[in-house]
Amino acid sequence: MTVIETVPADSEDTRGSSLPRYLALKAGGSLISLALVVVLGFFMFRIIPGDPAINMTRGRQVSPGEVERLRQEMGLDKPLLVQFWRFVRDLFTGDLGTSYVYRRPVTDLIGDYIGPTLLLTGTAALISVALGLWLGQKAAWRRGSWFDKIHTGVALVFWSVPTFWLGLLLLLVFGGGLGWFPTGGMSTAASTDTGMAHVLDVAHHLVLPVVTMVAVIYAQYLMVMRASVLEEMSADYLTTARAKGLREDLVRTRHAVPNALLPTVTLIFLTLGLLIAGTVTVETVFSWPGLGYLTYKGLSAPDFPLVQGTFVVFSAAVIVMNFIADLLYRVLDPRLKSS
Amino acid sequence: MTEPTLLWDDVRITYAGGNVAVDGVSLEVERGGTVGLAGESGCGKSTLAMSVLRLLPRSARIEGRIVLQGEDVAGMTWGRLRAVRWTEAAIVFQGAMHSLNPVRQVRHQVAEALALHSTKEFPDSAARLRRVDELLALVDLSPAKGRAYPHELSGGQRQRVMIAMALACDPELIIADEPTTALDVVVQAQVLDVLNGLVRDRELTLVMISHDLAVLAAVCDRIVVMQHGRIVEQGKAQQILTAPTHEHTQELAAAFPIIGDPSSRLVVGRNASPGSPGEAGVSTGSTAEAGRAVLEVRDLTVDFRSRGQHVRAVDHVDLTCGAGEIVALVGQSGSGKTTLARTILGLQKPTSGQVLHEGKPLPHRRGALKAYRRQVQYVLQDPAASLNPKHTVYEAVAEGIRIHGLDDERERVIRALTRAELTPPEKFFAAIPQELSGGQRQRVVIAGALALDPTYLVADEPVASLDASVRGEILALLLQLRRDLGLGALVITHDLGLAWNIADRVVVMHRGRIVENGAVEQVLLDPQHDYTKSLLAVVPSKLGLR
Repeated sequence: MTVIETVPADSEDTRGSSLPRYLALKAGGSLISLALVVVLGFFMFRIIPGDPAINMTRGRQVSPGEVERLRQEMGLDKPLLVQFWRFVRDLFTGDLGTSYVYRRPVTDLIGDYIGPTLLLTGTAALISVALGLWLGQKAAWRRGSWFDKIHTGVALVFWSVPTFWLGLLLLLVFGGGLGWFPTGGMSTAASTDTGMAHVLDVAHHLVLPVVTMVAVIYAQYLMVMRASVLEEMSADYLTTARAKGLREDLVRTRHAVPNALLPTVTLIFLTLGLLIAGTVTVETVFSWPGLGYLTYKGLSAPDFPLVQGTFVVFSAAVIVMNFIADLLYRVLDPRLKSS
Repeated sequence: MTEPTLLWDDVRITYAGGNVAVDGVSLEVERGGTVGLAGESGCGKSTLAMSVLRLLPRSARIEGRIVLQGEDVAGMTWGRLRAVRWTEAAIVFQGAMHSLNPVRQVRHQVAEALALHSTKEFPDSAARLRRVDELLALVDLSPAKGRAYPHELSGGQRQRVMIAMALACDPELIIADEPTTALDVVVQAQVLDVLNGLVRDRELTLVMISHDLAVLAAVCDRIVVMQHGRIVEQGKAQQILTAPTHEHTQELAAAFPIIGDPSSRLVVGRNASPGSPGEAGVSTGSTAEAGRAVLEVRDLTVDFRSRGQHVRAVDHVDLTCGAGEIVALVGQSGSGKTTLARTILGLQKPTSGQVLHEGKPLPHRRGALKAYRRQVQYVLQDPAASLNPKHTVYEAVAEGIRIHGLDDERERVIRALTRAELTPPEKFFAAIPQELSGGQRQRVVIAGALALDPTYLVADEPVASLDASVRGEILALLLQLRRDLGLGALVITHDLGLAWNIADRVVVMHRGRIVENGAVEQVLLDPQHDYTKSLLAVVPSKLGLR
């Protein structure tokens, strides 16, 4: 028989060759997004009704001159474009301005408040992602079963509940009524605990806000994972795996889930960024001393430098997570490495 | 007397909704026997094969007995069944497509079977991976290929991985489900060679499934033909291939004509019905030779740039298609034939050279290009994919008429459907593609082309996705259109049998160049170029006759 030489795709030399280019492209795109967000943020907050100078002096006897002086101090007497120019110039030197309300540099404030936010969202994200993915793949595998019906049903109910309402309810029942958990803050005010005792105290305070956040967000991970696994359910390679004699559990965990995770990962990271921005409600309800709480305070002034600062942080979180999602997808899916 | 390796005893398999896939099949596969299951899509052959390892969906109800190595499959516990899977019977799936997990290296997928069933011989992962290398060597793959992910391998290589995987636990019985479908003819021959060698060397029992009788005949001693869930004919492979008695077997056999057999040249007014020579051989193209050139391709080159690399898909090609002439453009996948067709249609910009229509270069202006496209219509390979699933037949056919702003829309649609032999046309107006059979869908695509009264058709693998029995009808339709309307066609195909069926002239393309061009008898019966010879050597009907 004559055999005609076929040209095999030699994978070795092409694999990952364009990674730096890909990185540069994605990083460039992220930077542009961030710049646009900064511009948008500046002008958006100027539309908020209310005059910071008047609001800050409300309840006190002040002369119009004093208010005017306050305005000048805050640079609000200058035309909008000049204000914008100053904002951008300062931004490049890492200066987000000085908070009107707290009378401290915004960067310092963010530095102080970002820790609790990361603790809260990190814990909530970890739990909801793990819970959502696990329930999602289980539900898909037993599509139509009671397990599937109950879990998708419950998740969707929580998903559609307003966050503040659920938070207040939990606060009322478990904080106020039963008294099992503290009703606000991050640690007991009077305590001077250190070490393990302090950690436990913070963990105790963490429970209700985390439960609220998890309840509201885990549904999206469940639904996406469920859909993603369902998509893989009829894949031929699962038949191959079954024919090899694999137990159903192994068919699911070794073959179906890794493939189903690919599209899910992107979504997880996209929502993680949003999660940080979504803390405003939860932190306000539970007086959690984080960025969300800070934003709430800033908005009621309105404290322009402060809300601009937190806005930049929230947006940056989304953009950075998006960037990570792109990278991770590439690492996880071997098909993308060479294409 | 030894008991058979595999026995189906009056097996009946019903899917949810009362759809009977297998209807009372009794079949015995003796130890060391090689049996081919033939039939069209939906005839129940795959269902029958999957039933051996109970791999059917839960909704399937199985009646009758399936006995594997003396043990009733239905009576096995899940644990026993899992132990039997792959050790007593393994399946070679159609690996060219999606049967390998895309996110795992193939060697780990092969090793997985060893880890499940052969932990005594290969206790640790290093030993298993060494064994995988040996298995890959059996199917002529280097160990380095084991580290590849499925997408990094060619279709033929993936199919070999599937075969290596099936051999991992030394099963008695191998079931090969369409192992070469979707592979290039040349690669198909290589894979069949590997399979053949293994079956002979290891004295395996083989059940192979295909719609292609010749492929089965190349490997199997016995062929069983199925239709509508029943066995309609069985016998020695050679006998089935050369002297089929059942009508359905004849249809299947006609899809793979023996090149050089005048009776398989199709003639207008008669469908493919081999074994009835008569007016056959009367050349259908005598009048066409004299036709003036409709399409001319002059020194055409098309380059693609992909990530800094230049790929020359079409390399200085000259080609002329006469009015009313059916030209078959043949070659392997990747030979540049589709790119050439797309360039002729003005869908791809040539790097150099030109395409002439009626002696005038292809226009660049949109309006003129539109007028040109009305003259030369494109028929795509897969009617299921080229028809919008949401559009009715009427919409699909009328779309071109509307784009070109022609009058008498309804009249034209009726005429086009009638010409494509969808009669009565009104009956098909409201149908959506999903409600039509594969052959009817392809007729709709052809009707869509005919609606614009073109002078020439370019058809890319017009029957490759169709079942054997429909194949002859569509080819006959092309010939009839040529007779009635003087419509010529450039038919792109990998199938030399198709060229022999209908073409006046054959053009052989290899690596972007035209290596042979001449009348069909001349090229196929007396090939000059080595490449044409090698293509002819691996034509399925030849394989079967070895």
